[in-house]
Amino acid sequence: MAKVILGSWRDDVTDNRGLKKSAIPEAFKGLKEFESGNDILAFMGWDGFFLFDRDAPVVDMARAYVEKAQEESCGYCTPCRVGTKVVAEKLAALADGHGRREDIDAIRSMAAVIRDASMCELGHTSMTALLKMMELMPEAFEEAVAGRGPVKRGNYRAMATAPCIEACPAHLDIPEYVDAIRSGNYYESLAIIGRKNPLAGVCGRVCVRPCEFVCRREELDEAISIKHLKRFVNDQIVSYVSARSKPLEEIPSASGKNAAIIGAGPCGLTAAFYLKRKGHEVHIFEDLREPGGMSAVGIPDYRLPRDVISSEVRRISEIGVKFHYGKRLGRDLSLSQLETEYDSVLISVGAHGSKSVGMEGEDANPEGYVAGVTFLRDLNLLHHIGEFKPPVGTRVVVVGGGNVAMDCARSAIRLGYSKVSVVYRRTQKEMPADHEEIEGAMEEGVEFLFLTHPVRIDAEAGKVKGITCVKMDLGEPDASGRRRPVEVKGSDFFIECDIVIPAIGQSSDFSFLSSGSGIETTKWGTIAVDDNTMMTGRDRVFAGGDCVSGPAALIDAMGHGLRVAHCMDQRMRGEKMSMPEAERMFRLLKTMSLPQAPVNRLGNKARCRLEMRPARERTSDFVEIERGLKPDEAIREAERCLRCYRIALFATEE
Amino acid sequence: MTTIIETKKKVQLEIDGKTVLAPEGATILEAARAVGVRIPTLCYHEALSPIGSCRVCVVEVEGVDRPATACNTQALDGMRVVTRSERLFNLRREVIRMILAHHPLNCSPCPKNGDCELQDIAYEYDLAPNDFGSYSIKTEEYPWKEFSTPILDYHPRRCVLCGRCVKVCKEIRGLGAITMAGPGALASIQPALADPESPSRCVSCGECMRVCPVNAIEERMGGGKGKPWETEKTATTCAYCGVGCSLELNVVNGKVVGVTTDDAAGVNKGRLCSKGRFGYAFIHSGERLGKPLMRNEKGELEETTWTKALTKVAREFRRTLAEHGPDSIAGLSSARCTNEENYLFQRFIRQAIGSNNVDHCARL
Ligand SMILES: Cc1cc2nc3c(=O)[nH]c(=O)nc-3n(C[C@H](O)[C@H](O)[C@H](O)COP(=O)(O)OP(=O)(O)OC[C@H]3O[C@@H](n4cnc5c(N)ncnc54)[C@H](O)[C@@H]3O)c2cc1C
Ligand code: SF4
Ligand code: SF4
Ligand code: SF4
Ligand code: SF4
Ligand code: SF4
Ligand code: FES
Repeated sequence: MAKVILGSWRDDVTDNRGLKKSAIPEAFKGLKEFESGNDILAFMGWDGFFLFDRDAPVVDMARAYVEKAQEESCGYCTPCRVGTKVVAEKLAALADGHGRREDIDAIRSMAAVIRDASMCELGHTSMTALLKMMELMPEAFEEAVAGRGPVKRGNYRAMATAPCIEACPAHLDIPEYVDAIRSGNYYESLAIIGRKNPLAGVCGRVCVRPCEFVCRREELDEAISIKHLKRFVNDQIVSYVSARSKPLEEIPSASGKNAAIIGAGPCGLTAAFYLKRKGHEVHIFEDLREPGGMSAVGIPDYRLPRDVISSEVRRISEIGVKFHYGKRLGRDLSLSQLETEYDSVLISVGAHGSKSVGMEGEDANPEGYVAGVTFLRDLNLLHHIGEFKPPVGTRVVVVGGGNVAMDCARSAIRLGYSKVSVVYRRTQKEMPADHEEIEGAMEEGVEFLFLTHPVRIDAEAGKVKGITCVKMDLGEPDASGRRRPVEVKGSDFFIECDIVIPAIGQSSDFSFLSSGSGIETTKWGTIAVDDNTMMTGRDRVFAGGDCVSGPAALIDAMGHGLRVAHCMDQRMRGEKMSMPEAERMFRLLKTMSLPQAPVNRLGNKARCRLEMRPARERTSDFVEIERGLKPDEAIREAERCLRCYRIALFATEE
Repeated sequence: MTTIIETKKKVQLEIDGKTVLAPEGATILEAARAVGVRIPTLCYHEALSPIGSCRVCVVEVEGVDRPATACNTQALDGMRVVTRSERLFNLRREVIRMILAHHPLNCSPCPKNGDCELQDIAYEYDLAPNDFGSYSIKTEEYPWKEFSTPILDYHPRRCVLCGRCVKVCKEIRGLGAITMAGPGALASIQPALADPESPSRCVSCGECMRVCPVNAIEERMGGGKGKPWETEKTATTCAYCGVGCSLELNVVNGKVVGVTTDDAAGVNKGRLCSKGRFGYAFIHSGERLGKPLMRNEKGELEETTWTKALTKVAREFRRTLAEHGPDSIAGLSSARCTNEENYLFQRFIRQAIGSNNVDHCARL
């Protein structure tokens, strides 16, 4: 626990040198070391600073902070471009012992201009901590100009961040790629995305977009359409590149090391892409005949057309990643075999089993009872080649309230069943599915039975005849904050139907793991990995994605892929493994959970809406529903971004 | 006093105590100009969408702590705006000072001297070179880079990074051949590449040079262009093609040294293509024909007078007409003639000669 000696956040001062108390925590729980054995001495951020150690090198730290601000300044506006340079040079002179007293005044007045007149949040915030430090610790700066030579130096870890970057599991530089769209540099924008995310077209369509939920523009009017902008640049460049039909250049495997990846889902693909870029030979083994994992065989085509996935995978194979389809670990391959042939192995097999609802008659597995993920997998693999045989019947009941349930219900509508109902045990408000998905399903004619819980599958001669449900009421909130549904006694009722699709969750199949392999699973049915390195209990064997986190989202799996590639690379090069430094800083920032400053700016620009195919037209096929942004819309949308960049700096012992 | 700008939907706001009715979507700057309130600007250019990079146009808006830039902030209903205050004066002055801290202050040899927007605004804010002692930053060493076109030279040290050139190339030229790239004080204007392998999209139109407020983009046609006050501007029409753009020939001591334009004039409203803007070197070329030439008996070309030459042409036309009829004569005119001249020319061939064999080179 890091105890604050002196600090300020949003002008709220904590002074434990024996003066003033405040609402800001006196100590940050869980914050002590940067990495093990390396204590954090101080923090400088966008709304203030904290000293945890009396000997923190104040002036030199301010210099490092402003130098970082200058390095991160995009150069667009005058005050930040020139001002931070002047302040950085003056602080460097102070730190070297060449500073003069008038420099202190010049720094102070110039800092105020940078804060007040810059264009984006980087300039608005880069001087806050410095100004506060000069106010609360004038003596430190006075000493530096007293002619006593250079000040004490320190060690720093600094980076530019933004709320949306912090929220994205892959930590995509969102403002930067949005800004490139604003300037019309689409190629550059896609290259920025590609630094962290090789599946821009996929994410640009179906990402659950945690970034948009924290977007600060929401305070003024509405969040930036980060997802749609990603799709926009991807589609612009893909059509441009395919017009030239020039493949990417193959990256040579210069490291002399090779990696095996099990599962061509988002996690495996991401890891493969970055391992290849780092110069390793990479082989992906995939059970199915096509890549993409759940993005291909879970998500239906009307949300994510399969040619989007195939064009992104083509780019991954163009750079030299080798794909081996129809190869299942545990059937065609064994872990020990892979371990002898490869320098490192990644298990990214996802979660493809279906969790049971816990209703009576489920285990008998009557005809017409089809797990949601199985239904969607068969549909996705076979429908487009005309070989899909839909479950026989006319009435469908889907159980569950998440996106998978919505995908099942909306697909069922498209297959022409006469009635499709969703039963969910809470109300619409508690549904975990995206509200766009729920509204879309309603428009398409899906019936919703809320506060309804299935208790029994009624079957006759091994065939589903219907489902018995009870009515629910919302009781006390549970651990997740959602009100727990309780059964209304004697409210049983029967719904006649031929097909029941449970879609309440997925689980992984680890039958390929033999006991004594050293690879542990958790009580949640996931693979246990070291949080720092993503390595399992077995040396050189790593794991990531849904099979580690439990069913999550694409971008979570891709964030894993990125991190695991980092550590696999370190392991193969024989370096000490540890998570990327930026990841460590993001976690420290999360631990500190500093209060956000309100956005004090002028707004009044709504986000661009996407055009959708009308419900009547779209329910008879699996063609994509949403149309992308047009260039002028995309540029207008990109212009709305506030560029909430800010610099975070930790002063550490080493 | 209430000033009304004509459109349908309006917002009402107050600027320096004056009530303004501005069309919805107008910026604070536009609203202020409509009531005669002058807000200083540098990066703003009327022909372009707002850029918002220089930060000279800051104003205070009631209820918002941080000053807003008038050029790109929308005027909203009920807004109260102050454009002059001590705080704003200081902010503007400091911002201009920062720009100058990066700009060489040797105006006397600069061809823009006297016609430079940076000079004007520095003068307005009473900034002179000796005000920079404590601010000047270390000279940045820019790696030499070819600008987007061989016709133009770009000088990063002189550039104030207003971003007009980037905007004009995108919005008016429609190309986006250049972009601004950091980091920080090392930022400069660079070619924007569609992808690393494709060549620059620049077509050398020089629009970027035209909107540059300083002398950061120069034509590479040689120096000695004269100072603005010794330059005489003659309004004329470009002779290269049928668009007929208006331009001004800049003449120093009887010599054409450059081409400028007037934003308000002609069909082109200040725009030109590379031929109109840079294709003037031929005017003083020694290889141009100054007098008519006629073949003598030996078949050699010899200088003569217009009267003699035209008399000969007329005589030969008559003879050919008499001996072979009008269809034996054809006329080919030049794209460098005006529409009116071309019209007269075809009338001449059709009516005076009586031939329908008339055409035009149609391109250059
Ligand atoms: C119906 C549905 C809809 C979804 N919609 C969204 C959405 O809109 N947005 C979003 O962000 N997320 C969505 N998700 C979640 C997202 O698809 C997953 O979180 C993500 O795909 C997980 O990636 P992964 O790489 O860990 O695993 P997966 O994508 O599951 O990929 C694992 C791969 O491994 C293969 N495999 C499995 N076992 C073996 C083996 N033994 N040997 C060889 N190969 C094997 C599988 O065939 C598969 O290709 C959805 C999920 C489902 C099921
Ligand atoms: S980062 Fe922001 S404040 Fe800094 S120069 Fe760029 S736009 Fe201006
Ligand atoms: S406004 Fe832009 S930078 Fe700020 S949170 Fe939203 S997307 Fe990120
Ligand atoms: S010369 Fe024309 S095309 Fe080339 S960069 Fe300048 S404005 Fe763009
Ligand atoms: S070259 Fe001229 S127009 Fe372009 S950014 Fe620099 S000063 Fe502005
Ligand atoms: S040649 Fe170019 S500048 Fe001249 S008239 Fe034609 S378009 Fe205009
Ligand atoms: S004129 Fe408004 S920011 Fe430059």
